[in-house]
Amino acid sequence: MAESVTSNIREPQPAPAKEARFSELAIAELEEIASHYPERKAACLPGLWIAQREYDGYLPPAAIQEVADRLGLSYSEVEGVATFYTMYNLRKRGRHHLEVCTCLTCAVKGAYEVVHKLEKELGVHVGGTTSDGEFTLSEAECLDFCGAATVMQVGDKYFTQLTPDNVKQVIDELRKSPDYTPAKLADSIVKTLLPGASETGGGSYSVEDLKNPAGPML
Amino acid sequence: MPDNRLTQTEASLNPAVTQMVNIKIDGIELQVPKGENIIESAKRAGVDIPYFCYHPRLSKGDAANCRMCLVDVFAPRRAPDGTVSLAKMPKPQASCTLPADEGMVIVTDSEAVVRDRKGVLEFLLINHPLDCPICDRGGECPLQNNAIFYGAATSRYTEEKRHFPKAYPLAENVVFDRERCIHCARCTRFTEDISGDAQLGFLKRGADMEVGTFEHTAYKSKFSGNVIELCPVGALLSRSYRFKARPWDLHSQRSVCSKCSNGCNIKIDYRLDSLQRINGRINEAVNEEWTCDKGKFGHSYVSSEARLKTPMLKTGGEWKAIDWTEALQILVGKLRDANGSVAGIGGQRCTNEDNFAFQKLFREVLKSNDIDSRVEGYLGSVNKPLYERFGYHAMGNAIAELEDMKTILVLGSQLVDEQPIIYLRVRKAYRFKGATVINAVSSVPEDSPKVGDFAQLELVYKPGTEAALLKGILSVLSAEKLASVNGFAKGYTLEKAAEETGVSAEAIQQAARLMATGKLAIIAGREVANHANHLEVVQAIGDLAEATGNAQNINLPGEDVNSQGAADMGVLPDFAPGYAPLENPGKNTAQILQAAADGSLKVLWVAGAKLLEKFPNRELAQAAFASDTFIVVNELTMTETAQAADLVLPAASFAEKEGTFTNCERRVQRIHKAFDISLEIKPDWLIFSEVATRMGGGGGSFFSARDILKAISAQVPAYAGLTAKSLGDEGVRWNYPDK
Ligand code: SF4
Ligand code: SF4
Ligand code: FES
Ligand code: FES
Repeated sequence: MAESVTSNIREPQPAPAKEARFSELAIAELEEIASHYPERKAACLPGLWIAQREYDGYLPPAAIQEVADRLGLSYSEVEGVATFYTMYNLRKRGRHHLEVCTCLTCAVKGAYEVVHKLEKELGVHVGGTTSDGEFTLSEAECLDFCGAATVMQVGDKYFTQLTPDNVKQVIDELRKSPDYTPAKLADSIVKTLLPGASETGGGSYSVEDLKNPAGPML
Repeated sequence: MPDNRLTQTEASLNPAVTQMVNIKIDGIELQVPKGENIIESAKRAGVDIPYFCYHPRLSKGDAANCRMCLVDVFAPRRAPDGTVSLAKMPKPQASCTLPADEGMVIVTDSEAVVRDRKGVLEFLLINHPLDCPICDRGGECPLQNNAIFYGAATSRYTEEKRHFPKAYPLAENVVFDRERCIHCARCTRFTEDISGDAQLGFLKRGADMEVGTFEHTAYKSKFSGNVIELCPVGALLSRSYRFKARPWDLHSQRSVCSKCSNGCNIKIDYRLDSLQRINGRINEAVNEEWTCDKGKFGHSYVSSEARLKTPMLKTGGEWKAIDWTEALQILVGKLRDANGSVAGIGGQRCTNEDNFAFQKLFREVLKSNDIDSRVEGYLGSVNKPLYERFGYHAMGNAIAELEDMKTILVLGSQLVDEQPIIYLRVRKAYRFKGATVINAVSSVPEDSPKVGDFAQLELVYKPGTEAALLKGILSVLSAEKLASVNGFAKGYTLEKAAEETGVSAEAIQQAARLMATGKLAIIAGREVANHANHLEVVQAIGDLAEATGNAQNINLPGEDVNSQGAADMGVLPDFAPGYAPLENPGKNTAQILQAAADGSLKVLWVAGAKLLEKFPNRELAQAAFASDTFIVVNELTMTETAQAADLVLPAASFAEKEGTFTNCERRVQRIHKAFDISLEIKPDWLIFSEVATRMGGGGGSFFSARDILKAISAQVPAYAGLTAKSLGDEGVRWNYPDK
């Protein structure tokens, strides 16, 4: 879901402070990805993933500025990209982002009951984050897996055929993955774009590898 | 620097016409350039296609998103057996991005198209508040017009519309009514393609999409006013014009902006005697259709309370309003008593007619050559810097020619402030025509837009070291045999230049190599104009231009609206109109002020020159004003200079008189009178002419501005044949007779 439906800000705001948090590896990754395209603009989405990792799992204004500056784009253009895709977090979210599809098929198959059950179970409304920072609950539009409705996306995983009865099991399961964070998710996505990536996951590499590519890349 | 030049296909905004194709639009057969957008071809055929987002000067980047321009298209299709038949494209096409091709048949009036347009408008109006009765755009609104012509009479939408606070203060001069926005991307593309700051963008794309700046920061641009005119609805509004008038209550007069020497063509929209707003007027050779914010919003003084409405006399340190009879009596008395010890400074904000009358009065009636129009910059002979060597005084190029340069060197200039429209051409050359821009300047401001945002190379030199930098470039050209350099750069080394200027040797080398690749234009700004060693810097510029084969591409544009015209009209100590040398040259501005300060000058007449505000040697100017010299000033308001005078005469602004201005590229353009603020206010030429008449006439009495223009075209060779009529709406660029 979009972060807010309307913005009711009535006065222009001061310019946010800039930061430079990209590590040496992050810069090498970005440059490597940018070199695959004729225009640096094309590396905007990967750049935002890298930023989401470097900025602890979300994209504060400074992250958007850093990506824009590194790629030579305007801030508003990069913000336009970041605000379009729901997998970029514009503010800090829970460790797990639960996105329950409430589109047609899922709704017919009882998605709202799943949502209500989750609300009760987590003690937050749609859009909210639990006080322990574990979960953020959202509604999503069709996740393109209608055959297995009701569907819920959590990071890069889908949970299917959810009902009010089995959904608690899912969140209990998720709680048990102590080292999973949004930054880690971002990292795994960045890895899929770089050397050694396969259909199922990313490779591993060092700054040196990126600076002196040995063989064919993606 | 990132490269934001558009690729060749996008750059086809101005396609070099190569191939013509035959197409048919609503039964009309015509030939159009292959690849031209159908919406443009339709215009040729006289067929009207409604649109919102299409704009001929913007790239198609984000465009084709309003869908208003849908048409049915039939394209020839070749069957396997070789027979060609027409096949209808299954979906209607957006004609604003559909390239014309051989044999296409376009239908804009089918039932389907009529229905499609209705549907598109219904979608566009879903979230539109339809508050036309309180909308500034009402009456000149493309959305209103298209809705009336092509939309449904009633709405079927009964759900909630989205709402935003009205009048969000987006920029200093622009307020934003987000709920009226139809997301056409004209404003966002303007900031990206034209002004180059790319501050506006689409945020939250999707159902919640809105136009905005990064993190709701203020939109700070020098060209923000243009988006008001570009916006096809009343979403982007002028803060100063908001709720001031309805378009049908306004009268409009063609004019030329008086704020700088670029001479943008504008329309003055006014009610009775009050100026309501300034809009751009198309002149392809000058401003295309743009204005800068200084021009668009900087004219509120015209109808302001601060305007002087009667002559003012200072007696015993107090200002007293007097009438014209008395004022002229006093002035004529002083001029008579002065017996030739009179001098005049000014004219850069005055029309050619004013200036011509000014120098006539001084030379033929008062018998003094002590007049000058220059307040800043080089005060020696105007022929020295460029004319004696290259045959022109200020700009070698026309503004429009700058587009076709391969490389542009901007030297010592905050171009966007000094020459806003030249800045836009340079940006266009870069964005749409692939030019490379080099910015050499001594300080770089934070704010965008500026040349540095897109310059391939930025050379930041120590103040005052322009000549060293140029010599360094010349030494590279010579060492690498990129050009044949003769004369004084020989023996000058790259290392020396790097050390003196503080610019790295590699950067100087790169700059030199870029400049040797083809057509190069050099645009020099304030830092060069006001340089203590102006002649040396210009000499070096000349050497560089000559070495690279670009002797005709040097540009030293003046800054005031009529700096060019004032010089053309001979408001110079050593030249009569048309740069005819005088046998007994008079004093220049500095010498005149010195004479006043020394007490050897009786009367000084200042025609709109801001001496105390702008003359570099302020002590001298103050001493001149503190002396016993009787100082008379023609002004619009009580400026600092006027405050220090003895007699102030209320002069007409550009909106209250007829006449011509000559812009920095020597284009003579007409201004037209829109209104009178007060009948006690007179155009400068009339004041000079009345004084001349009272002093016995001579050649200084004129009846009208047109009368003066006739005299100008008779006496100034470059202006020969210019009449109010031949100048037309777009003006005429005069050229040196030997070119
Ligand atoms: S923008 Fe046009 S249609 Fe919209 S409220 Fe204003 S006048 Fe009416
Ligand atoms: S504000 Fe106006 S120009 Fe900008 S996108 Fe909206 S309708 Fe178009
Ligand atoms: S409706 Fe839920 S996945 Fe398609
Ligand atoms: S004018 Fe063609 S889509 Fe907007």
